[in-house]
Amino acid sequence: MKSEKAKVKTAFKNTITRRFSLLILAVCLVAPFSVAFSQTVKVEPKVVVAPLKQKTKIERKSVRRSIGTETSAEKSIAVDAKVNVSLCVREGILKINGWERNEIRAFVVGGSEVGFKVQQKNKQNDKAVWVMVTGSDPAKNKTVNSEECLSGEEIELDVPRGAAVNVKSRTSETTIQAVRRAVVKNIGGDISLNNIEQGINAATYQGDVTVENSGGAITLESANGNIVAFDIAPSEIGDIFKAKTNSGAISLQRIEHRQAEINSNSGSIKFAGEFQNGGQYNFGTQVGTISLAIPEKSSCKINALYGYGKFNSELKLAIITEDESSKAQRLVATIGGGDANVNLTTYSGAILIRKQ
Amino acid sequence: MTDKCFDIGTMQAFLDGELAAEMTETVARHVAACDECACLLAESEEESALTFSALEMELNALVPTQRLWTKINDSIAREKKSFWKPILAFLLQPQTAAFASLIFVAVLSVTLLSLKPNAPTNYVAQTGEIQQKTIQPIAKNQLSPPAQTPLLLPEEKNTETIKSVQNKAEYRAAKTAYVRPEKVLTDAKSRDTKSDALVPAVRENSGNILGEESYIKTIATLNTTVANRKDEILSPSARFAFERDLAVTDDAIARMKLEVRRNPKNEAAKQILRASYQNKIDLLNSVADKTELMASLD
Ligand SMILES: [Zn+2]
Repeated sequence: MKSEKAKVKTAFKNTITRRFSLLILAVCLVAPFSVAFSQTVKVEPKVVVAPLKQKTKIERKSVRRSIGTETSAEKSIAVDAKVNVSLCVREGILKINGWERNEIRAFVVGGSEVGFKVQQKNKQNDKAVWVMVTGSDPAKNKTVNSEECLSGEEIELDVPRGAAVNVKSRTSETTIQAVRRAVVKNIGGDISLNNIEQGINAATYQGDVTVENSGGAITLESANGNIVAFDIAPSEIGDIFKAKTNSGAISLQRIEHRQAEINSNSGSIKFAGEFQNGGQYNFGTQVGTISLAIPEKSSCKINALYGYGKFNSELKLAIITEDESSKAQRLVATIGGGDANVNLTTYSGAILIRKQ
Repeated sequence: MTDKCFDIGTMQAFLDGELAAEMTETVARHVAACDECACLLAESEEESALTFSALEMELNALVPTQRLWTKINDSIAREKKSFWKPILAFLLQPQTAAFASLIFVAVLSVTLLSLKPNAPTNYVAQTGEIQQKTIQPIAKNQLSPPAQTPLLLPEEKNTETIKSVQNKAEYRAAKTAYVRPEKVLTDAKSRDTKSDALVPAVRENSGNILGEESYIKTIATLNTTVANRKDEILSPSARFAFERDLAVTDDAIARMKLEVRRNPKNEAAKQILRASYQNKIDLLNSVADKTELMASLD
């Protein structure tokens, strides 16, 4: 039995890593072809389908080399204070900043042109309430697709503080601050949001998401990157805070939402702060550690399911049920008065509760 | 992503399982974030002269244990608990139970490496075949037979999670290929009859969790989408992380299923099983969503 086990263990270890690396090798071999293939089909040489790091670097360089001769593009337009701004970015560093004027100013260095396409106007004051910022100027070239994406070394936008911005991008480092609402979807690139008052929906597939000092309903997603959020509050009753990543870590501090859904597959989750009275919090991982750092005087009911994992609390628990015998371990307990509901679910990760 | 890369020697040691547990973890974590190292890992794999035949041999070497696995499962079904207790203990060791994920990865790599345009059909066929061979009792009850799984694709509320897929034509084509074997059953009525026929069989088994069918269906649909696109969608490092997370999640599903079957009253196991299904859907969805976003930016 023993030798059998050992054999199985080694065989498993070897096979599983080999299987992985064979897969990866296949990807390494196939990726360049698929890039080449898509390029020949689409005849759009700037578009990189598989965002391989090397490829991106090369592209950046070529942009930089031509920067000396390239002119920058700048444009502005008067808009409504609560304007919706949509744009897509092919590549470049994107910065969007809220300012006190009811005007959008767009500035692109070393890249595409810039233009505005007014999609909708306010009937009372005739000001634009929905504007698309495009990579070509519809005023200049009417034949060119006016919905073209922006690209450049640096893309900067100033928008009214009351603006709701909606960004889609291929590879872009995105920074947005001081606007009312932000929706950002990046294929690759970090997203950093600051001072967004009434709601965020941010997703990146390769990169980190950082949010600070913001409010509203919040949804943050990253496939492989980390999620960091601190000083976040709801703007209305019922606003939910959601954060989800596959293999990244999630770190949250001072989240004042009464409802939160936090999930990571293999990454860890750290929550530091208070649970609100009557709040509902769900934390889940497959194998990652869930650690809570909460005040000693906390009042919550803990419902922990930890499969093959472990549970450890520095805080005093009043245990209601505990089952450590089965293959799906479970613990239900209260801390203090038990006001907030805290569900912790992991398959084989550890659950740790610490004093803040 | 910022920690430094590993040399080929470390990769070799990693592959040979010679690194300390902590180091193994570090390497795996790094490879999941670094394309260069993901490729280096694959290359050093090559250098260690591991060919497909060697892989084949490894798989064959595992067969006796798989037979044991099947046997044990059969016996559990027959409820001869006392006799099988020691074997169960062995079965629930991590290394043994991890076979589910091993098999899954094996199937994946076979599918991937074959790289045929009609991959989805192959994929289903192979999955069904292998799973029935190895973890038969589970496969029989929890997974519908290969041809039937895809038949019940839409209509279920959980299919909401399936985001519209970028290449609609391709997706539809995949779907058609999926349903083709049962194309005779086109009108809604005969389809209903067909699904009704399936339902009681599933309900009989008290070891099923509520809504399990729809989880499985959702996963089957997403699997098709993802299997078709992940090569071009994921970079080598992202791919490594994806496959690793998927293997871990599949392992969890297999083990929790087993526990729920063994003890249908274990609510904790049911909840962890449900969470694991949801995690798998999220994992697949992240690839499907990325596919969709990339298409919208073309
Ligand atoms: Zn590296």
